[in-house]
Amino acid sequence: MKNSVRLERAVLDVSQAELGSMVQVSRQTINAIEGGEYNPSVILSLKLASVFNKHVTEIFELEESDWACD
Amino acid sequence: MKTNYLLPHQFKRIGWIIFVPAMLLGIFFFASEVDPPFLNIHVFAFFDDGAIFNGDEDVIFGITKNNIFDELIGLSLIVSMVFIAFSRQKNEDEFIAKIRLESLVWATYVNYAILLIAILFVYGMAFFWIMVFNMFTILLFFIIRFNWALYKSNNTLKHEK
Repeated sequence: MKNSVRLERAVLDVSQAELGSMVQVSRQTINAIEGGEYNPSVILSLKLASVFNKHVTEIFELEESDWACD
Repeated sequence: MKTNYLLPHQFKRIGWIIFVPAMLLGIFFFASEVDPPFLNIHVFAFFDDGAIFNGDEDVIFGITKNNIFDELIGLSLIVSMVFIAFSRQKNEDEFIAKIRLESLVWATYVNYAILLIAILFVYGMAFFWIMVFNMFTILLFFIIRFNWALYKSNNTLKHEK
């Protein structure tokens, strides 16, 4: 799954730690999401969307590989 | 995020305070097999199959004589490692919960891989000792893997702006 959290955070001009505290997670979590290392839960995705004032689908986008069965 | 079944964060410190001396005593016990005489006491037992070791009669739901040094070490090690392993991180959230789960799965695989190898290739008292260690190593492997993953995750942060 692709995401534009890093970009949206830059637009908002906040650090990873600040964004983390806005959505009640650690800085590591924001870092992992931005790095594509971790896909957030629905709740966290909705919180991020709310902070960025966007729809979830504007921030998170499915990739072809997400449809593949493991 | 609400994380179920985890202990409060303060338990981690208590765990380390108990773990260090318990581990040192455990190593001492394993190396010397000394039983301090003052720890020879009568204890209640569900079952004591004493016949294997000293020819005594079986005890079922009764009182038996035992040196409790190894019981104290085992109890301290397990309780302290459970405290260390399953106390909440200061910043516990869903990403840390994921690392926690992955580490637990990894530790279980490694622990039982070692046990499988031991079942196949180790015999006699050496196998008995591996079984004894195996009781503790699952928690030990989890603690090492979990903290290593957290350290790695923190380390990548240093390169982020």
